[in-house]
Amino acid sequence: MNAGQQTTRRLASKAGNSVCRSCKDSISRSSYATAAAAAQSQDATQQNVPPVTATSPGQSYAVNAGVLLSRPPQITRDLHPFESAFFLYQRRLNERLALPFTRYFYFKKRTPADLEWKRKIKQRLTPARDIGRYKGYGEEAWNDELLVGAQESEFEHQVERLLEDAEHGAERPGEGENADAQANAAAAEAGRPTKKVEHEVVERPMPRITEADKKGDVKSLNRALQRTLYLLVKGKDGKWTLPQDVIVQRETLRMAAERILTQSGGVNMNTWVLGNAPVGHYQHDILPETLKTAKNPNNLGSKTFFMKARIMAGQLDLKQNTMGLADFKWLSKEEVKSAVEFDYWRQIKNMLAER
Amino acid sequence: MALRELPLRAAAVFSRDARPILCAFGSSLSSRRNASTDALQAVETSSSFTGSAAAVEAPKDFDPIARSKARRRGKKYLPPSRYQYRPPKYYRGPFHPHQPPPEADPASRLFQPGPFSLPRLDQTYQSTIASDLLTLTYQHYPPGYRAPVQTQRLREWTGDSPYYKNRPLRPPRGRGDELRLLTEPRTFRNIPEITGVVVHSMIPEAQESSAYLHVGGMVLQAITNVRAESHRARNNVLQWNLRKDKWVSLTSTIGQEDAQHFLSKLIDVVLPKIKEWKGVAASTGDGSGNISFGLTADQVALFPEVEVNYDSYPPKMIPGCHITIQTSATNDKDAHLLTQAIGIPYYGKFKD
Repeated sequence: MNAGQQTTRRLASKAGNSVCRSCKDSISRSSYATAAAAAQSQDATQQNVPPVTATSPGQSYAVNAGVLLSRPPQITRDLHPFESAFFLYQRRLNERLALPFTRYFYFKKRTPADLEWKRKIKQRLTPARDIGRYKGYGEEAWNDELLVGAQESEFEHQVERLLEDAEHGAERPGEGENADAQANAAAAEAGRPTKKVEHEVVERPMPRITEADKKGDVKSLNRALQRTLYLLVKGKDGKWTLPQDVIVQRETLRMAAERILTQSGGVNMNTWVLGNAPVGHYQHDILPETLKTAKNPNNLGSKTFFMKARIMAGQLDLKQNTMGLADFKWLSKEEVKSAVEFDYWRQIKNMLAER
Repeated sequence: MALRELPLRAAAVFSRDARPILCAFGSSLSSRRNASTDALQAVETSSSFTGSAAAVEAPKDFDPIARSKARRRGKKYLPPSRYQYRPPKYYRGPFHPHQPPPEADPASRLFQPGPFSLPRLDQTYQSTIASDLLTLTYQHYPPGYRAPVQTQRLREWTGDSPYYKNRPLRPPRGRGDELRLLTEPRTFRNIPEITGVVVHSMIPEAQESSAYLHVGGMVLQAITNVRAESHRARNNVLQWNLRKDKWVSLTSTIGQEDAQHFLSKLIDVVLPKIKEWKGVAASTGDGSGNISFGLTADQVALFPEVEVNYDSYPPKMIPGCHITIQTSATNDKDAHLLTQAIGIPYYGKFKD
């Protein structure tokens, strides 16, 4: 029964060092399934044999390890104007089609909350706080389209309305001041001490464009919050690349990636290398003319395999680097394109996320 | 009128197969003049989205309500029976002259508005989680590898009976009554994702008083944004004090946008507020990619929608619930990985 598995393994081991561990695992695992079908056991040897590539012993590529260290997007992306218009349209449609708001479940009669509710609903006509002044029921429910230049569908406008609602109870700042002023005047006439109404200040959300964005500080991790940022370093030769290094013998790609991160950026970074398999590779070919005159004509160039990694906290510190790096940048995909050489970009671009 | 149209419609249905051939001929005859040729020339080539702001001059004092009022001054409203379209209440077959509009048409009776937003969890999934899962679950096969041929897992009917022909295959021998789902090789097309969430709440007290069920329904509706469905007990179970055919439980099945919002609320607001909670037991999972865990009544009360008017719910009537996260993963390992990535904490040892 197990003859097929044995044969495959033996073949794989005969093939020498060219079979990596995960290949060996997959071979042995898949042969369980074939062993189950006794009829196909003789077939198994033909099916799962890894190809033993006959490379000429002399010529070869050097194998390097690289790290694709990235910071994922921190905030949601900006909506396209069409998207936001569509969402507002759907919300207003929902306002027309949904059952009415169950008012007395949320606001008991003759409570301060009920009074505030009445004042709010008088102004915006609907329980929803961010769809503008619109009523889904009644004679004028058909008027659900925005006029040209209306702000209601914009994200900033909706955030402002929500904040305003939390602070003032939907009264416009001007109206609120007027009401307060009138009340104070009436109180002053009656000889009572004037009462100043102070609204609780609600904390504003942090701006979506940071200081680093404004300054154009590409070393900061606090920039381009909507995009994935990738670490680019400037090597000894003055070229911008992803951090990379040769593999020290008997080192796995993952171990090499972790070593490169520590050696290039110091220990003041919390990083996570994903999995054990690379996400892409860059092949550097030495030109044939140069190869003829080179010291070692059998060295065709180098292949760099990139491990994917995420940065969780911390920042790169070049003072501690032992790889001779001169500079670093955190760039989004388009910026990477303009920073690196075209051939390099052509080979790494599919590893980088669109957003 | 309707009867006269019917043969035309029927002819259109029957000639549907012949149409592509006609189109193929039509495309070769470019000099042919259609009814729409003039209309096509009249269509603007530039989109209004790309147009400059100067091109669109907004009339500042345009008031649609005032305009419509002015137009119908002194006149009566249009009779709604004649001018307001109502789709047919019942579907009477494809040959009936009065066809309902498609479901996506706001005039349709089946129309559901939405989506209303682009959920943050969904954006994170698209930008970060999906590609990370693909990297983490990558299985390397050497070039030239051919997958072993899968044998039929079900048994055939062997015998002389003519009834064995086309009969559904027999399940495998042994006590395991169900076959596990097959896990296809991972590609960018089958990365596991959240397909839905089911919130289930079993309320045995509802057998005595239906008030528990009403309150539970309000709570589930508030936290899930979906009307809760109630269920009867299927069996008598003496130990649980359960009697057959009594209304005992509620479920809310959420999908799409609502599920994403519910999960982000749960993960970012509710779970961090629970005191002395170990997390979700790592032994959870039904073997085919669905993850379940429970919340007690106190924990359900931490949902912001319940907190905002906690006093409106009668005391001690807020139910606990079971939450099942449905994923498109075909085994528990992938489902655990996905739910960990979206931020559900686990405790204990994974058994997969």
